[in-house]
Amino acid sequence: MVPGVVPVALLVARTGTHAVLIDGLLVYPTGFDFDLAVRRHPALPRHQTDPRVWHELWLEVRFADGRSADNGPGPWPRPDDDRPPDPPLLYQSVIGPDGGHVWLWGLPPPGPLTFACQWPSEQIPPSQAELDAGLVLAAAARAQTLWPAQAVSP
Amino acid sequence: MSASEPPELPEEPSEVVYRRPAWVEPPADVVPGIVPVELILARTPQRAIGLSGIRAYPTGFGCTLHLRLREDIPGEQSNFGAFNMFGDGVDPAGEFADYYLRFGVGFADGRKATNLVQRHDFDEGPAPDPPTLWIIRWEGYDRLAWELDVWVYGLPPPGPLAFVVEWPARGIPESRVEIDAGLVLEAAARAVPIWPDQDAP
Repeated sequence: MVPGVVPVALLVARTGTHAVLIDGLLVYPTGFDFDLAVRRHPALPRHQTDPRVWHELWLEVRFADGRSADNGPGPWPRPDDDRPPDPPLLYQSVIGPDGGHVWLWGLPPPGPLTFACQWPSEQIPPSQAELDAGLVLAAAARAQTLWPAQAVSP
Repeated sequence: MSASEPPELPEEPSEVVYRRPAWVEPPADVVPGIVPVELILARTPQRAIGLSGIRAYPTGFGCTLHLRLREDIPGEQSNFGAFNMFGDGVDPAGEFADYYLRFGVGFADGRKATNLVQRHDFDEGPAPDPPTLWIIRWEGYDRLAWELDVWVYGLPPPGPLAFVVEWPARGIPESRVEIDAGLVLEAAARAVPIWPDQDAP
């Protein structure tokens, strides 16, 4: 599929030196992916950070019905379990000094969709911002199937 | 050291004043304006290339390419060949391999940027004349789907903005889709500085 696009970049946290954006929200019928983008003030010297610090950037996505998912350590579905996990499930596929890339399994119900983060080692306090989940649901409806109802050639 | 002991901490991180030049990535201090484009650039019965989500900044724009294979075809080159970071997309004669995905943008004034020209000496010399094109993230979800985030340094002039792909080994001939560059320019104007009142921390 080609995903639908949420036409918003969300500023979740901002300090005098750092900001965290949710950017590149691309939506499929089964969930959405996005960049968890850490921005540093251009005047701030870049540090060679310990990769373990990268894992301390905590992100949680909360649905209006109270369900939530975060990038904390597990528990993860067993790889030999064919049943899909209960959504939402958050998988951060890229982790680095500038944040990472995230796949969230499951679409939110209508209402506020909350992104919350904190990164104590970079002095980013608990912060959050909301997005209208309707934007995500509308984008999911625009995702395009590339080969609809077409037999695969032998 | 036993398995139960934490690993030793590295030495205190050093402070580095180096910053990547502005033309190799989006500006760090701006929230982009979004153009919600959802394009299919090329599609055959077995392969497709999509483009979505233009993120526009005052200095250029980014977007995501979606490479999709419907199924494995036995004997087909398995390399997605979407970038030439290590020179592996070019044969000894300097020709790009058939599996190498060609991608580019074309501006209304005739200027263009492609992944056939990728400068890797960005630590040296002056900034190039825009536009330039740089792949800033690539990720494969499985053997059949890849995503590429592209950064185009330089905003287009008003008029048509073309996205062009060609993937010879996958049976995709040169294919072109155009949008109104005004959409990108309007989105760039909507981009918001993150620290508008602060010169330095």
